[in-house]
Amino acid sequence: MDVLAHVWLGILAVFQGPDAFAVAGLSVSITLVMVAAGFLLGIVVGATPGLGGPTAMAIALPILISVFGFTPDALLPVMGCLIGIMKGATVGGAVPAILFNTPGTPDSYMTTLDGYPMAQRGEAKKALRVAHFASASGDTFSDIVLILCAPFLALLVERHLDLPEKTALLILSLAFVAAVVGRSPGKGLISAGLGLLVVYVGTGEDFYPRLSMGTEALNRGFPIGTAVLGVLVVGAVFHQMAEGFASRSNTSLQPAPKAGNAGRLRWPDIRPLLPTMLRSAVAGTVIGALPGIGSTLAATIGYTTAKARHDRTRAPDAPRFGDGVPQGVAATEAANSAVSGANLIPVLSLGIPGNTAAVFLILAADSIGGFNPGPSVFRVTADAINPELVVAFGLFTCMFVANALNWTVGGLVMRSMGVLAHLPKQRLLPVVLVLTLTAIYVQETRIEAIWFTIAFGILGFGMRLLDMSPLPFVIAFILGAKLEDSARQAFAATGGDAWFLFTSPVAAAFMALSVLVVVLGARRRG
Amino acid sequence: MSRAETRTLGVICVIFALGCILVWIPLDTDTGLIETVRRRVEIGDAMAPTLAALFVLVGGAILCIAPGEPARGAGAKRPLLFCAAAMIGVLAAGVVLMLCAGPLALWLADAGRAEPREYRLMRDSFPWKYIGFVLGGTVAISGLIALAERRMTWAALIIGLVGVLGMVALFDLPFDDLLLPPNGDY
Repeated sequence: MDVLAHVWLGILAVFQGPDAFAVAGLSVSITLVMVAAGFLLGIVVGATPGLGGPTAMAIALPILISVFGFTPDALLPVMGCLIGIMKGATVGGAVPAILFNTPGTPDSYMTTLDGYPMAQRGEAKKALRVAHFASASGDTFSDIVLILCAPFLALLVERHLDLPEKTALLILSLAFVAAVVGRSPGKGLISAGLGLLVVYVGTGEDFYPRLSMGTEALNRGFPIGTAVLGVLVVGAVFHQMAEGFASRSNTSLQPAPKAGNAGRLRWPDIRPLLPTMLRSAVAGTVIGALPGIGSTLAATIGYTTAKARHDRTRAPDAPRFGDGVPQGVAATEAANSAVSGANLIPVLSLGIPGNTAAVFLILAADSIGGFNPGPSVFRVTADAINPELVVAFGLFTCMFVANALNWTVGGLVMRSMGVLAHLPKQRLLPVVLVLTLTAIYVQETRIEAIWFTIAFGILGFGMRLLDMSPLPFVIAFILGAKLEDSARQAFAATGGDAWFLFTSPVAAAFMALSVLVVVLGARRRG
Repeated sequence: MSRAETRTLGVICVIFALGCILVWIPLDTDTGLIETVRRRVEIGDAMAPTLAALFVLVGGAILCIAPGEPARGAGAKRPLLFCAAAMIGVLAAGVVLMLCAGPLALWLADAGRAEPREYRLMRDSFPWKYIGFVLGGTVAISGLIALAERRMTWAALIIGLVGVLGMVALFDLPFDDLLLPPNGDY
């Protein structure tokens, strides 16, 4: 079967999968419904300060798995819904940033700089339209790059990298994430090391479950959900609530400005935005393709690049960035939205998650089974269908369905979400916390899972308190088993060569790069 | 973090990593770094955790020599720690109540019966399956809200109850095969 046949099967799997309902005799597949539901939910959580895509994905995942079960048919509806949430949350984050000077998600902080002044001038609707237009454009651009790049990167890896090189590549990914995420490579390495240490508890090839201290509770290891959700969601809830408590901040928002008449975007408004958006989309896509570098950095680079260019080229009497310039909003939103598609390049081509949204997609694939993100997904044989490749093209189709929704109804839904910014965080977060713990329990059905999650939440809180990013911990936790398996196989395949990571030039180069990124990171920030 | 705090964190991590490499991992794994099985040399179970601890060791060493950042105000983290400890206490109380309330309610209800029923047999029947979750969940949510707002209000209680009932509607009513906390443990 050639690639085009797989593409077609992927599209059909989305549009002709199991039916949800029929309209005028025309059946609507459950995958389409779930992508739409996820997208709308994503806008809602993105527009609610304190929530965000990862929280919604964390809570939705066990519910989705309960609804759709563990069959291959569940993959596209579940992952389609998660993709919808991921995309919707990126769009929704701009709403409170523009209307209330409160970023809904961390990556929309830069949107406040020009979005809120525009809103104060009575151009709130125009600012929201600019944000939506730039966000949808950046997202679509990034998805196209993903579809063009991921298969080729995967084929390259599959053809040219053997077991020692793949092991070295995993080590390089971990070293890179540790070195670039957060403020200090030292803290990044500690975070990654703890993630690896924790995932090895209760596992191994021997009869005795290693590092379990002989206890019943630890001999099955830590369920992936408890570690990931504990550190990411519960830790974040603890930290946000504690900061609110410590600062005694009330949650009163800046007053919402009047909508004004300047709303509709016309071609003369759009034309000057296009070069800015294109540059930001490229920057966001490149940054998104590198594991561990998040959309916040992309937004910052997109904004500062556009600001520097604007300062060089603007007329003396033209407004500066920060005074409410539409290009400022467009630069930020195009850059942070372009990250979401590109972030899936390392996931789908290498099996390496680059951000929290990708972590949840891997969790879904891991829980349901039948789809192992990595180079083997893109293997094509002449005489048989590769079901994983069909799922991969189904996911690409889901992304374009979400983009279509974004272009058509996304703006309308987004502009109606302003009211959510009034939800008080201190009342919302405890509900999110108990909901997360309940979602974990219904999957694991043992109380230890709740205690583990709370313990990981304390660890996540401590990490945030120490300015240590929890992302290397989570990525190391997910990659730990794969790294050990790969190293064991490479060691056996090379006949027990202790230097197997340094005998091939490619593996040795990856190892040298691993050391180099950490050393350079430490020197740059030292 | 100030230079002193960063260095302290680095030293703690170095000590922890050395403790793992020299004490915990050797004592708590049955195979070493390398083992020979049927005359084949293989990687043992201790190798991967040792490498993980080496990550922590190197990270800690970097922090020991890093210059650190401008110091935050003294004691800036104390209120955060206090609040986090209080939150964890409230949450733990909610989970313990969740565990005990259902069996306790059944025991009280069956106090006069000749043959008291086992909670394990009633864990999936109304109202027993909801008692622990609703009570524990409501206490946890409303307690955390009260902590954040520094006073207990009716609104916090209502949000807790409505939130928990919403979760019952989300997880229990549509699915026959899901068990709410803590019923899977009985």
